[in-house]
Amino acid sequence: MNRRGLRFAGSVLLGLALPVAILVLWETAANRDWVNTLFYPAPSAVLERSWDQLRDGGLLRDAQVTSKRLALGFVFGATPAMFVGLAAGLIRPIRTALYPLATALYVVPRIAMLPLVLIALSIGDPARVFMVAFSVFFIVFFSSLAGAEQVDRTHLDVARAFGAGRLRQIGTVLLPGALPALMSGLQVAMGFALIVIIGTEFMASNDGLGARIWHSYQIFDFPSMYAGIMAVTVLGVLINGALLAITRVLIPWRHV
Amino acid sequence: MTILDRPAAAATRPAVVIEQLAVRYGDGLTAIEGLDLEVAPGEFHAILGPSGCGKSTLIKTLAGILRPVAGSAWLGGASSYVPQGASCFPWLTAEENAAYGLKVQRVPKAECRQRARAILSELGLAGSERRYPHQLSEGMRQRVAIARAFAVDAQVLLMDEPASSLDFQTKLNLHASLLALWERRRPTVLYVTHDIDEALALADRVTVLSPRPGRALATVDVPFGRPRDSRVVRNFPGYGALFTRLLELIEVNQ
Ligand SMILES: Nc1ncnc2c1ncn2[C@@H]1O[C@H](COP(=O)(O)OP(=O)(O)O)[C@@H](O)[C@H]1O
Ligand SMILES: [Mg+2]
Repeated sequence: MNRRGLRFAGSVLLGLALPVAILVLWETAANRDWVNTLFYPAPSAVLERSWDQLRDGGLLRDAQVTSKRLALGFVFGATPAMFVGLAAGLIRPIRTALYPLATALYVVPRIAMLPLVLIALSIGDPARVFMVAFSVFFIVFFSSLAGAEQVDRTHLDVARAFGAGRLRQIGTVLLPGALPALMSGLQVAMGFALIVIIGTEFMASNDGLGARIWHSYQIFDFPSMYAGIMAVTVLGVLINGALLAITRVLIPWRHV
Repeated sequence: MTILDRPAAAATRPAVVIEQLAVRYGDGLTAIEGLDLEVAPGEFHAILGPSGCGKSTLIKTLAGILRPVAGSAWLGGASSYVPQGASCFPWLTAEENAAYGLKVQRVPKAECRQRARAILSELGLAGSERRYPHQLSEGMRQRVAIARAFAVDAQVLLMDEPASSLDFQTKLNLHASLLALWERRRPTVLYVTHDIDEALALADRVTVLSPRPGRALATVDVPFGRPRDSRVVRNFPGYGALFTRLLELIEVNQ
């Protein structure tokens, strides 16, 4: 192994040390009855339950349901937000018209809108998808607006001096210049989306990982509750990893 | 339009004609007023002036980025531009940066690539074509910006302090490469600097601008021959007198 490989392996080991120590401590605490295992079952018991639920298909089904709501909401929220945000960065009156309302809606805790959304759309997937889309929209709007505004004036000057028309300036300078801010906005938005979909499923759903966690809690089936929490964590880590990978591909000049 | 047309002049048409140019910013600040300048085709012309006197404003106006409020600026052909400061696109490799102007002009891809590589290698950047700007040294980045401007075969090159961010040694090397490239192609060059030594090392003539609002105070001939070795111009007879004269022009008018 070369030096870089060694250093990488070292940082992985170091990063794993703390979680492993916590798990070991927790397992020991549960086995020796230092804690009430009804509420805090041993990690091995949680893993066992996860395995059972994976095999009976229930956990995967709920994970799929949640992922689908998340994906639809994300796409429906982020796509228009990107365009509107870039347009607002480019065209002053659009920015002026949207900024106050967007700022107000940005600071409302998303989950506070759930009752209103349920009244408007009634309980169902459209309402759940809307909750995600709504929570994603403003974050992506502001990040693409900031991205467009932060574009280096000198780069736009170069494009103009070389005779690039408006569309070409947008394609060759504005979009690549705004992309890093936009991508980090998408990552933040995904974190919010995950919180909102789980919260929505707690309160307004019979399926999905959020509903599974909440239901297990209500019937005191704590190993299943932890299994659900673990599944949400895995889902979040996978999505985050995918977004990071996409970012690396789209923004090669930041990483090589 | 920024570049106003002018009736065809007499026998040898200059490459750049600026008459009574005035440029004002949106906040009412007048950066340039009553500026006259003529540059001959193929001339290397330095614009010298203190910081804030309107040098960048002049270059941007000639590049079509700013509009004059009065007077006219006429260029006898296509121009290209090296802005002040860091200007390479960070998201493009050295080769893609150099090819940018060609791409805008819809030159076929293969030709873009070939011409970009050729100019990069003339500027000593062979082997760095696929590197991104952040992987290059400051001196190399400035060479890429210069390559981007030369690649389009413009008749008039507008350069705004391309060497001012470089250390002394790197600057000397850049001057040598730039002069060699200029000798081979002989475009008209307008080269902005605040550095008297640099103006004398490179230029055929030097125009000194007044403090803001900038106008041309005087144009001075630089009688050192061509091809010129920019490293040794200081040893030429008359260098000291010329330096003092330019310095006085700048200082007396402050
Ligand atoms: N975008 C701008 N808006 C308003 N004033 C500006 C702008 N850019 C430059 N100026 C002012 O115009 C004057 C000339 O600037 P500039 O052309 O950049 O000078 P130089 O390049 O000679 O240092 C300065 O006083 C500067 O502060
Ligand atoms: Mg300047």
